[in-house]
Amino acid sequence: MRFILNTGRTIVQGCHVEDKYSETYAGEVSTCRMNLLDMLELGVEEGEYVSVTCGSGSVVLKVVAAGEAIPCGSVFVPYGPYINHIMPEDTHSTGMPDFKSVVVVITPTTEPRKTLQDLIEDLGGRMYEIR
Amino acid sequence: MKFDDVLCPFCGCLCDDITVTAEGGRVTGVDNTCLLGTSKFLGDNRLKNPIMRTDDGWKDVTYDEAIASTLDALLEADRPLLYGWSGTHGEAQCIGVHMAELLGAVIDNTSSVCHGPSILAIQEVGHPGCTLGQVKNRADVIIYWGCNPTEAHPRHMSRYTTYADGYFLDNAFRDRTVIVVDVRRTETAELADVFVEIKPGGDYAVLSALRAMVRGRDEMIPDSIAGVSKEQLRHIVEICKNAKFCAVFFGVGLTMTRGKYKNVRNAIELVDELSRHTKATITPMRGHFNVYGSNEVNTWMSGYPYAIDFCRGIAFYNPGETTAVDILARKECDAALIVASDPAAHLPSKCIRHLANIPVVQIDPYPNMTTAFCNLQIPVAVSGIDAEGTAYRMDGVPIRLRKVLETEYPTDTMLLGRIYEAMMEVRGR
Repeated sequence: MRFILNTGRTIVQGCHVEDKYSETYAGEVSTCRMNLLDMLELGVEEGEYVSVTCGSGSVVLKVVAAGEAIPCGSVFVPYGPYINHIMPEDTHSTGMPDFKSVVVVITPTTEPRKTLQDLIEDLGGRMYEIR
Repeated sequence: MKFDDVLCPFCGCLCDDITVTAEGGRVTGVDNTCLLGTSKFLGDNRLKNPIMRTDDGWKDVTYDEAIASTLDALLEADRPLLYGWSGTHGEAQCIGVHMAELLGAVIDNTSSVCHGPSILAIQEVGHPGCTLGQVKNRADVIIYWGCNPTEAHPRHMSRYTTYADGYFLDNAFRDRTVIVVDVRRTETAELADVFVEIKPGGDYAVLSALRAMVRGRDEMIPDSIAGVSKEQLRHIVEICKNAKFCAVFFGVGLTMTRGKYKNVRNAIELVDELSRHTKATITPMRGHFNVYGSNEVNTWMSGYPYAIDFCRGIAFYNPGETTAVDILARKECDAALIVASDPAAHLPSKCIRHLANIPVVQIDPYPNMTTAFCNLQIPVAVSGIDAEGTAYRMDGVPIRLRKVLETEYPTDTMLLGRIYEAMMEVRGR
């Protein structure tokens, strides 16, 4: 199904911006918040996984039921390395990519969600282990 | 030891009423902070010393070795990018601009992926703004458009708007009308007197409709615009025109959707229209505590607020070309210095892939996503906790950050100053 994706801040994401290797941060920024009716139509329940695809690729996120807070046809994902994995880099000559109102395709998946380490290594980085 | 009236170095609210208790070289307690501020003051995840990437892991290095390595990376580069700057104080930002000029580098700050488009709009049509003190004491109508202060600026409503007592308002909470405009029902929307839910990407159309209605052209407007009924638009126009003082705050809901700076321009022009009937102002909800300062410092030093390219020997500014995302996506820069920000957590993946392939030096107190893509990270004191300096609040008011801890970490100013002096020596300046 096609959805409009919006990314944005959440209080949990904000509280962990200086603690990005924590499980809480990774858990928060790898969630996809959806309207209950869309979840029904998609056939997914809270805690299950969906594959979110945009021009630049796909990423697996965990579904969070958002009640009526998110309108049907839209999803919300907190800012962070998971969703930016698929965000387009085109800035339309403004310097600012589209981080909101982006069309994505969402399908249920049984694939596991990547760890932060997997995401980092996919992009050519190397995880730093905090001592 | 207890410190009163400390500034919180988290968001653009720059709350200046924080009480901090510090013992044994650590912050042990805070009062008056929101959750974001509390996590910042009590955070305990600092990098202990500079680290350098090796073939099979990381090794500790000294500050002298780290500075020498930074010089090599930046002086050998043909087109270095100096990015970040929003999470440090103005004095360090000054050195960054000097450094960019010396290197012929591009210097950009995080506003290019935040309120950069707002600045482009302001450059087109001006900024009818005011201080947050004016809003607190006078505004009886508050509009939050495309922003969610409950989660991003948690004390904004209690310090400056909805719940703040005002000198010219007898009963501030009851006398203020709060309108929230957003594409989803946020927690802020739950606190509003009027919530306007618009379809994603519909901001420009709704702003245009409101402008037309303020001008008395109701007959031009169809029954519904981007999911908002004409009746509700008329209601908002009446509230705004009858206000004594209408303060609009907007967030990246306007700058990150299609239309970008044109959305903001339209919002400014709506405020312009409203100002023919009452007093109206507009203020961007700035994110990092000193992103505004970075724009100010860049502007007074180079003439431009962000995305400044010194490769011609003079300052050149062309957002869309000289902005960090575009330069990284084009794989144009061949080295990067990242200061007080975390691009690997906030830029699209194509940009990060390029960071992984070039020499990157990061100056930041904490391990973050960019740590995984840098060759060298140098920890520094945290501005506002163990480093002093100047920061600009979201309304452009400069305030002095206080220091509540003694530290052995160098400040950003000290470290960047040493690097810059060594650069000048090498370049014979």
